[in-house]
Formats: sequence, C-alpha cells, structure tokens
Amino acid sequence: MRPFYRLTAGLAAVCLTTLVAACAAGHTTNVGSGSVVKGQKEKGGTVTLAEVGASPNFIFPLVPSTNSNGYNEDLTLGSWPYLVYSGDGSKSAPNPAENLYSSLTYTDNDSVVTIVLKPWMWSDGVPITSRDFTFVYNLLKWNYNDWFSYTTGLFPVNVKKVLTPNSHTIVLDLNRSWNPTFFTDDVLAAVPLLPQHAWDKTSLTGKVSNYDETKAGAKAVWNFLQKQGGDMGTFATNPLWKVVDGPWKISQFLSSGYYSWVPNKNYSGPDKPILNKVIWTPFTTDTAEMDTLRSGSSQIDVGYVPLNDVRQLPALESEGYSVAQVPSAGVAEILPNFYTPVAGLLLRQLYIRQAMEYLINRQQLVKTVFAGYADPGNGPVPTIYGQEWDSPLEKAGGLYQYNPTKAKQILAAHGWKVVPNGTDTCVRPGTGPTDCGTGITANEPLKFQLLFASGTTSFDQQNAAFQTTEALGGVHITLKSEPFNTLVSTTGTCNAKSHPAAICNDWQLEQYGYNEYGMDPSGSNMFNTDANGNYGGYSSPEMDKLINETEYGPSSSVFFQYEDYADQQLPLLWLPNPSNIIVYKSNLAGVTPLNPFSGTLNPEVWYYTKSSS
Amino acid sequence: MIWLLLKRIGQSIAVIVGVMILTFVLVHLEPGNTARAVLGFKATPARVAIFNNTYGLNRPLPVQFWLYCIHVLHGNLGVSYSALQPVSTLIAQRLPRDVVLIGLSTFLSLIIGLPMGLYQALHHGTLKDDVVAGTWFTLYSAPDFMEALILIAIFCVHFHIFQPSFPGGITTVGGLFEDPRAMVLPVVVLAINNVASYSQYMRSSAIEELAQDYIRTARAKGMRERMILTRHLLRNALLPIITILGLSLPDLVAGAVIAEAIFSFPGMGLLFWQSALSHDYPVLLGATLIIGIATIAGNLIADIAYGILDPRIRHAVA
Repeated sequence: MRPFYRLTAGLAAVCLTTLVAACAAGHTTNVGSGSVVKGQKEKGGTVTLAEVGASPNFIFPLVPSTNSNGYNEDLTLGSWPYLVYSGDGSKSAPNPAENLYSSLTYTDNDSVVTIVLKPWMWSDGVPITSRDFTFVYNLLKWNYNDWFSYTTGLFPVNVKKVLTPNSHTIVLDLNRSWNPTFFTDDVLAAVPLLPQHAWDKTSLTGKVSNYDETKAGAKAVWNFLQKQGGDMGTFATNPLWKVVDGPWKISQFLSSGYYSWVPNKNYSGPDKPILNKVIWTPFTTDTAEMDTLRSGSSQIDVGYVPLNDVRQLPALESEGYSVAQVPSAGVAEILPNFYTPVAGLLLRQLYIRQAMEYLINRQQLVKTVFAGYADPGNGPVPTIYGQEWDSPLEKAGGLYQYNPTKAKQILAAHGWKVVPNGTDTCVRPGTGPTDCGTGITANEPLKFQLLFASGTTSFDQQNAAFQTTEALGGVHITLKSEPFNTLVSTTGTCNAKSHPAAICNDWQLEQYGYNEYGMDPSGSNMFNTDANGNYGGYSSPEMDKLINETEYGPSSSVFFQYEDYADQQLPLLWLPNPSNIIVYKSNLAGVTPLNPFSGTLNPEVWYYTKSSS
Repeated sequence: MIWLLLKRIGQSIAVIVGVMILTFVLVHLEPGNTARAVLGFKATPARVAIFNNTYGLNRPLPVQFWLYCIHVLHGNLGVSYSALQPVSTLIAQRLPRDVVLIGLSTFLSLIIGLPMGLYQALHHGTLKDDVVAGTWFTLYSAPDFMEALILIAIFCVHFHIFQPSFPGGITTVGGLFEDPRAMVLPVVVLAINNVASYSQYMRSSAIEELAQDYIRTARAKGMRERMILTRHLLRNALLPIITILGLSLPDLVAGAVIAEAIFSFPGMGLLFWQSALSHDYPVLLGATLIIGIATIAGNLIADIAYGILDPRIRHAVA
C-alpha cells in the first residue's frame, strides 16, 4: 500500500487566497480543511518525505504490464499529470483548476467526446497540443496489452477514431455510448499527455518524427521508451525525462530509491511550487521510519504512521509534527469464494452472508482496531470521502449493522441449529424458503477458514475480532495467515470458467486489504460476472445490468440503485477500510486536506511558515 | 599443502554445483504462481503469459536450470523481477555495505571478546569469571531485535544521541559514514552476540592451554607472566578462533536480516528476505549462490590458515 496520496489541487486557490489574507492580517493562516498555521509564508526550503517498503523503478508514465510497482506513480505524477486530475479537495471529482483540459463535452448519445486542451506549455516552452494526445493514443493502440493500466474493454480499445480539428481540440469517436461521469472519472483519468515533440523517436540520438502513426513505428517507439524508462541510472539525466508538463522535474535519482524534485519553472498550472526541493527518502520498514520520526531527527518532514503506532501520535506531536488522515480510495472486504467445494455452497446463500455481515461489529473495529482512522465500511462505497456517491442507505449505516440477535434469527429461520460460541449445524436440508438451501446436507457445520495477509497487526486484530463476533452466531471461523505475495500467488480468480481449478479450492474466505477505486466508485470489473477483479465468482444478472447502466447509461441516478443492490447482495462482506495517517512538520502549511485518489501528495502547494514573533 | 588445497578446491566446486541444484529446486517448490505474486491481483491470464514469456518461466524446469547455469558461467545472475535491475548489480551494491557493517561488528567483538575470554581464563572459577560469563550469556540469550529496540528507545528516542536508521541516499560504502551516528547501534547490536561467543571460545581455549606443560615450563624458567601470555598462550589459544572467524565469513556476505530491517540498512540480508517474500527467484538464486561460495571460501581459508599457524596440521598432511 502506498503511504502517500496526492493532495487536493483545488486546495491551491484556497491556500493562496488565505495566505494573502494571512500575510495582511496578523500572520495566522487558515489552510485547507481549516487547520490554523501561524506565521508568514516562507519562499523556498526543502521537504523530505519518507517512502516506506519499496521505491520506484520505472519512469516512463505508461508502465509495462509486467511492472506492478505502485510507487512509480509517486515518481512520475508530479512531472506528467493525467488529462483528468483526480480529486477536487477531498471531493471525489475532477479538479477544474488542475485538469489539462478546459472543456469536455459528450455528444451523439455520449458516444463522442470533445476535449479542448488548456493553452499550457511543456517545460521546454513548446505548447501542449492535441498531437500529444494522439501520440499517447497511438502508442497505446498498438501496445495496450503491454500497458499495466489497461482494463479490458476500456481505453484505448473503446475509441474507434481520434480526430484533431485543431491544435487544442481532440474528438474521440467511441465504440458505444458511455456514461460521461464514468468515462471521465475512471477512463480519461488514467491517461497522461506525453510530449510527442520530444519522445516520438526510436533512439536517444535519433531525430523526432511521426513514428507513432504506423504500427511498426509505434512499437519501435514503445520499445525504446520502455527501455529508457527502466534505466534507473539515467532517470535524472536522460534528456527525455527533462520535458515535463507537471509542476516538478526529477533532479536526482539513486538506485536505493532516494530521489528529489525541483520546480518546473515553466509550469503553466495554477500552483507554482513554492518549495525549492522535495526529497523522497526510502525506508526499508515502517519500524525504521517510525524510529526515525521519534528520534527527533531532521531526516523526515512528512512521514507515514502505521496504524499499529497511533499511540505514538502524541509523542510525535510533541516532536513538532501535525497529524492528518488520508482516506483509502477503495472498499475493504472479506472475499467469499463461491466456487470452493462445500463452503462455496454455503456462501452462495444470501441469508448466510447476511447473517455473517450482521455479526461483524464494524463500528467497534473502527474504534478499537483502527483508532478511529477508518471508513466504516457501510457498503460498496466509502463514506468518509466523496459523499456525493453515497446513497441515503449507505449514509445511514448500510443494511446490515451489527446485530447478533438478528443473525441468529436468520440462521434459525433457514433450518440451522444455532449454537452460540459453538458451530451451527443444518437441521433442515432442502431448497424451501425455510430450509438450509441447495447442496447443503443435514448436519453440515457452518464453518469457514479465513485466509488473510500476514504482517499487519491491525489485520490480525480485526480478523481475531471477526472470529469472535461470528462465533456469537455459531459461525465457526478458523484463521490462517500467509505473506501477502504468497496469498496472491496461491489464490486465483474463481468463477464458472476457472472452476474447479485447484487454485480456487484452497481458500474459502480471504482478506488482504482493499480494492482500489477511481473517482467513480463503480462496481465495474469487480462485481460483474466474469470480471477479472471478481475473484470470488459472484454472479447476478441484476448486478450485471445495474453495473452496465452505470458504465454505459446516460443517467447518474442509477448509481444509487447499483449501490443499494450491491449493499443488499453482499458480493463481499463489507469491512472498515483503514485510512493512511501522515505526520508533517507543524511549520509546513498546505498539506491538508489530503486527496485520496492520486499516488502522491502534491507539494507544489506546500510552504514553510516563518515564526510570527 | 598444495595437494590439500587442490583437493579442497575440487570439493568446493562440487558443493557449489550441489548448492545451485538444491536452491533452484527448492525455490521452484515454493507454493504459488510467481507471475501472480509479482503482478498482484490485477494479473490477467494474458499478463501472466507475458510475464512468463519475458522471464522464461514457461519453459520446462530442466531447461530453465540449464539456461541458468549457462548464464551464471557467463557472469549473468539474471534480472530481478521486482527491482528490474541485474541481480549482480543489486548484490554488488549491497555486499560491500555488509562487509563494512559485519566487519566492524566482528572487529568490535574481537577486541572486546578476546581480552574478556583471556581475563576469564586467568580468573577461572572465581566470582569475576562468573560475573563476566553471566553478563555476556544474558546478552547472548536476548534476541537481536529486542536488544536493537531497547537501544533505539534509549539512545535514539529518549536521549536523541544516535540515529535509528541510515540516510536514504546511500549508494556507496563511504555513504554509510555520512552520518556516523547511524552506524553505531547496528554495529553494537551485531557485536553483542559475537562478544559472548568469542569470549567463551577464548576462555575455554586459554584454560586448556594454561594447563599445558609448555606454560608450566615457561613459568618454571621464570619467564614473566606477561611474556607467557603474549608469546606462548595467546598464539596457541587463538587457533580455534581462526576457525570460527573463517566460518563467519559467510555472514559478511549474507548480512543480518533482523538488524538490517530494524535499522533500515540496505544490505544483503534485507535483499534476500524481501526477495523471498516477493518470489523474486533470480535474486534468491543469486544471493544463495554468493553465500554458498562465501561459506566454502570461509572454510577453505580457515583450513589454510590453520595449516599455516599450526605446524602439526601441515606435517600431518604432508
């Protein structure tokens, strides 16, 4: 999990406005979400951020399919932002000030998109034009299978034709009608613009041409850029990577993962960096990083605090740090495997999933395991950010709030002998409305194994609590932990096609973290039948229909229908989703509120404050 | 002596080949799908196929092993799946740092442990001997991580004297000393266990030597005690330590996983551990090979040194 998330860029205007006001009126600045920063704005300075666990290894923004290192986005996003900037403050919406387009219009039943680019410049003074978009499109058109961010059926294969009527206008002729919100928020928000005038070549010394316009040329350019993108020794020196359109340029990169940014002096966006330099320093473990924070060292200005260490926050505050919480953009869950023998038959019964969800004390988990730093997990859509996506049902706490009595009633009403703190058994096998259900035999015990990712204390605590509260309804849970990578490598997507592959027989319930969302928290690719991300094999024609409508239909109101249906159907057992906690030097302003969507913080709006004394 | 050397080198090559076969088989017996472990839950079958094709994992295991051997003979240890860098580069970056870290801790252990062992031997059976032995055994019994965390809590968090981790921008061995305060605790933690071990070996060896006739003779001849200790006792009592030092050579290469993780020290131990977790086979195989070679070399060096220092061995072989 990446520790840092990109700050809301819409905050910039607020910051600057309040800053001006502050300078004029007594050196007290209201920053972001309202935190008060005392003192005057100081131009310049260096901020060092901690990066825990891993570090980037690829700089070309179109990462190949064999590279799953999420830290690469931390490295590149400050230099090559996406066409659609995810997150407006803490809102789940594009940021109008930071988007690379000035307008985006859907016509012809939402099958044609017209994008007008802002008159911004690359760092070398060349204008950003529609040719930069077609460059990206051409590269991906011939190489999308080797692009890590490619999702089946989406960009670029959902684009039939790209027209560029002028240097700042792009017209996308799509393969069908698409829901405008979905297309903008989840499709175009993953597409950067890249400098065709500097990168459309096949060797470092070769001349730039229109290679991308042919299949062979596009493949040659792709291969060249991929090769350069993986050469860590030249990240800071390769002339290719000097041409950027974001607020930052990479000034130093060491193979240890240590790197630094300096301002792009020709940045056209609204938030020109105030700091002189930003340094990213790697730590092998969060323990080492926490010890450094506690040591009073000046090594870290902005750091990550593991949830296990929230009790250290007062000590860190006394060391001169402030605390902020960054919601995780996604949904946390226990994943049921509907295709595992025996247990799969139990998990296919909606009433069993409902009883199990009633037995999860989510509020208690948020309070005791995550110290309050978590989304409550009321349903498929988070509620601590992006409230515009929350249906009234989710805002009210979801359908299945902790209620062991109700869980026991449901199980008893479906032919189970309920044995609290023991193991329930089926006493009425059969398929009637008051029977246990299809395939469940007499005396079948209601028991499951929960496989989960080891190494995170809060997960250990959460799953132990899950085991305890499920037992109140006689649902017997055994726990098994494995290192995350082992867990990933030994479990597979289990659905009608893959069944009965061995990889789907060895797990019943699984918990490993959370599924990421874009700005539009759609169930697309997660809950629809045969979706690659539908690991447990949930299938419902109604769910497919609702997801299709959120993806292709013209209306936004269908989203709540999908959301409430998913909440009711429990394709996953909902869990609280822990936030990330960061600490930052108290004299550093502009850090909050934090944007949950992008891969990095955005230090272009940060600045140090001078003491007002 | 030359015959001994040739024989040992021949044995060493056979052992290295055995290590290669064994580690290759063991690594591939690890449960799960490598491509999925590296690519994560997003891995589609197409993506898995590309990964397997890129790294040759779709070939039969014997073919993979054969290619691996060919590459190793050409000095190519492969490319790391997760770091995307040649394994030899990763090892070359980390190995010298471990040599410095473990070398310093070994040196510290020796300069404390050997005099301590000698002191105990000279006060054998007294309260002084018991107190020193008890102290070091207590420290020896405590796990590394506990000692590290206690020292960090005292010297870094409470008193702010030392740094609990290394600065992030280290790429060279010299960089380790950019902030020398970061080097103190890892060296001390690693030395603590070794001091106990070296001092006890030294103590036993010295007690044994003190009972030998040549010591009695030297004393009977009126030689000063200091001369007896330095000229006669020390040289003979150090022989077992030579063997232990030789056997500890692999530690220089293998690193120290726990200490490296706690102190954010980018060394071999951490590389090995992270590679095991992420199914990064090329790194695991490369690191194991280097550690295997170091183990064999350590044994060989110990044997040769023993032969040089102890004429009885030399003559027995001859």
